[in-house]
Amino acid sequence: MKQDPRRKRIRITRLFRRRKIAELPPSKIIIDIGPDQNPGWASKSFILSKFHALAKITVDIANLARRASHVIYKTSTTDDKQPPMVSRRRRGGSVGNRPTSRRGKFKQSRFHIPLGLKNRVTLVFSAGALVLSLALAALTYITTSHSIMNQETSSLLSVAYDNAFTAKRDLQGPHPYINFQYSSKKLNRHIATVIPNLLDEITADPLTGADSLVYVSSIWYHYPTTFTSHDLPHGLLTMVKNGVPAEQYFTYQGEPHLAIGIPIPLSGALYVGVFNLSDTAATLHILFVTLLLAGIATTLAGAFLGRWAAGRALRPLAAVSRAAQDIASGKPKTRLATTDVSDLTVLAASFNTMVDKLQERIERDARFTSDVSHELRSPLTTLATSLSVLETRRNEMSERSQKALDLLSGEVKRFQRMVSDLLEISKMDAGAAELVPDEVAIDELITKAVDLFSQNKVPVVIGEKACSLRILAEKRRIERVIANLLENADRYAGGATGVLVDVNAGFVRVSVEDNGPGIAPQDREHIFERFSRGSQIAGNRGATSGTGLGLALVQEHIKLHKGRVFVTEAKSGGACFVFEIPIDIHSSNSHKKDRSQGKEKHDL
Amino acid sequence: MVTNLLIVEDDESIRTSMRLSLEDEGNEISEADSGEKAVDIFNNANISFDLVIIDIMLPGMNGFDCCKEIRKHSSVPIIIVTARADTNDVVTGLEAGADDYITKPFEPKELSARIRALLRRSRTSEGTSSTLLIGDIEILPDAGEVKRGNEEIHLTRTEFLLLCELASNPGKVLSREHLLEKVWSYDYFGDGRLVDVHVRRLRTKIERDPANPDHVLTVRGLGYKLVV
Repeated sequence: MKQDPRRKRIRITRLFRRRKIAELPPSKIIIDIGPDQNPGWASKSFILSKFHALAKITVDIANLARRASHVIYKTSTTDDKQPPMVSRRRRGGSVGNRPTSRRGKFKQSRFHIPLGLKNRVTLVFSAGALVLSLALAALTYITTSHSIMNQETSSLLSVAYDNAFTAKRDLQGPHPYINFQYSSKKLNRHIATVIPNLLDEITADPLTGADSLVYVSSIWYHYPTTFTSHDLPHGLLTMVKNGVPAEQYFTYQGEPHLAIGIPIPLSGALYVGVFNLSDTAATLHILFVTLLLAGIATTLAGAFLGRWAAGRALRPLAAVSRAAQDIASGKPKTRLATTDVSDLTVLAASFNTMVDKLQERIERDARFTSDVSHELRSPLTTLATSLSVLETRRNEMSERSQKALDLLSGEVKRFQRMVSDLLEISKMDAGAAELVPDEVAIDELITKAVDLFSQNKVPVVIGEKACSLRILAEKRRIERVIANLLENADRYAGGATGVLVDVNAGFVRVSVEDNGPGIAPQDREHIFERFSRGSQIAGNRGATSGTGLGLALVQEHIKLHKGRVFVTEAKSGGACFVFEIPIDIHSSNSHKKDRSQGKEKHDL
Repeated sequence: MVTNLLIVEDDESIRTSMRLSLEDEGNEISEADSGEKAVDIFNNANISFDLVIIDIMLPGMNGFDCCKEIRKHSSVPIIIVTARADTNDVVTGLEAGADDYITKPFEPKELSARIRALLRRSRTSEGTSSTLLIGDIEILPDAGEVKRGNEEIHLTRTEFLLLCELASNPGKVLSREHLLEKVWSYDYFGDGRLVDVHVRRLRTKIERDPANPDHVLTVRGLGYKLVV
């Protein structure tokens, strides 16, 4: 059940020509791939028969696909009567439905935040890195702080026991038999002689760093500068007084301390060592900060890695999109570089094949136009020349013959102009048109051209800055532009009312105003398209109408000058055609060079 | 005075219509349908042709060769009919010795205007009659001759007029438009390439080193000037 491919092509090209694709409500874009089950590039290529349209559609499809579910690829040709939605559902598993599944995916993610693919991967990577590094840091901190504290405590314990032993030894005195059977007076004297040395011995050691308290005969002895028994945790003292060695962490004056109490087996004597732990706490704090920083660094590294990996993985996509954009912006020789990554060779090869075929097709089209125009030239020359012979014998003819002759010569002239316009425009399409600029006084050039083509009927106003301004421009093309704009005004608006030459932000601006009905805003962009005629004058065609290429050529000539042309409303309500060309054409010359150098490759 | 024109064109319809049209203007027309025949007629017929119109696309000997062949012995004004104004055909044709070109499809009026301009120019030539000297080159406008020492330099009519125009304004920059107007008698439809190609040809004949000219100098963006 093959559909006539020509019919389809016409539909598609018309769609492109009117540039409606961007304006259509997204759900209406249907790309008809044709009857084959395998929508290879070869079969698509006949549809996408214009480079610019292709690149535009590539970008459009990408945009649309990113936004939502608007692109419908349709392989079906059998059930044209059914709406595309139905036909797609029915052909659920067929090859052409790849995008459909994608569509489903997009529909599922209802709370879909518009994030770039690259950003998404980055986000995932950094989240992963954050979780991982936090877990690692926490684990490290807990185990490390545990072991540090254990080590610290055990070393302090040994110090405390040493001190307690020293205290016992000193209190016992040199003779082991001397004990606390002394009279209390004698005992007190003994203690009084022993304690200072003892305190010196067990407190002063800078290595141990302990503040020591000794409790003997119901009296607390300690250095006045250090802790008193009131500063110690109550529970600890109770336990030690009951004969149980004890240790307790507590905070004193904002600093962490460890108190170790050891009973001395000499009639209720006690030793209590208090150790300042702020150094250890500082160490732990440093550890914490270090781990935190390491965590942040890991997260950042993860994000960076994610970004890089995403960039690396997405590079082919970026290359394809760049290539498409290059092609769209007038570098049709752009290709993807071949690569030895097997996943990408297919992509590169299909892309390049597609572009090759398109280029071939466009070149064939352009050649066809140019060939046809060329073939028309010889008969046209004969026609025109023979007509001129008839014209000289005009007076020998009857009135009816004269009328017929007028019609004939009017049409032949139009035909001639159309062929030369077609030739000119096909030359532009083939990229063979080259600007041959000369230094010209722009005011003089415009004035002369306007005077010539309007038989001195249209006034020219030269702005102050444009006076005797010399710029690089191609005289022939600028004259053609003026001629076409004046002719256009003549034809549709009863003639131009004035031409204004001025300078505007580095550009020479030339405005051609008329008194006609003006151009409706929605037509202003399309009016420069080929064979486009304003809606209100449709049907008004005859020997006096133009070739339909005049404004298109104006645009092409101005583009070659790296300028732009547009239409606005004149103060009188008529149309105002404006073209601007840069004063210094070389400042924006790179584009042209790129184009002439031709081939470019984008690495995948 | 009757003008003798030779039309070299292989397309019979065009040839006949051109004959009809140009005969209306009071010219005497001879036709040739190939380059070989054209050279034969030009050299052997008992007519002194005032102007030759050659189509570039000819079977056998093409228009350029035909042009060169005629130029070997004659400085008759030649107009070539090219396919496209933008191709190298124009430059090649002018290099081959043509004085002007016209692009198909052309207006018969434009063709006759160009013919008239070329003929007018070659008949009412000399404004100045005194001998002009440029270095070792001597220009004799009356005789239509240019000599280096005793050796005569062969210039076509167009080249000669171009040299005379430049030489009568020594040191002054002459724009392409000015030269088109003076040398080709064109008010408007001129093409800067006409001037450029003819200046190049003139240089190859009168300059000792055409690549580094001493006399006919280019003034970028403005035109040409002659220094003695």
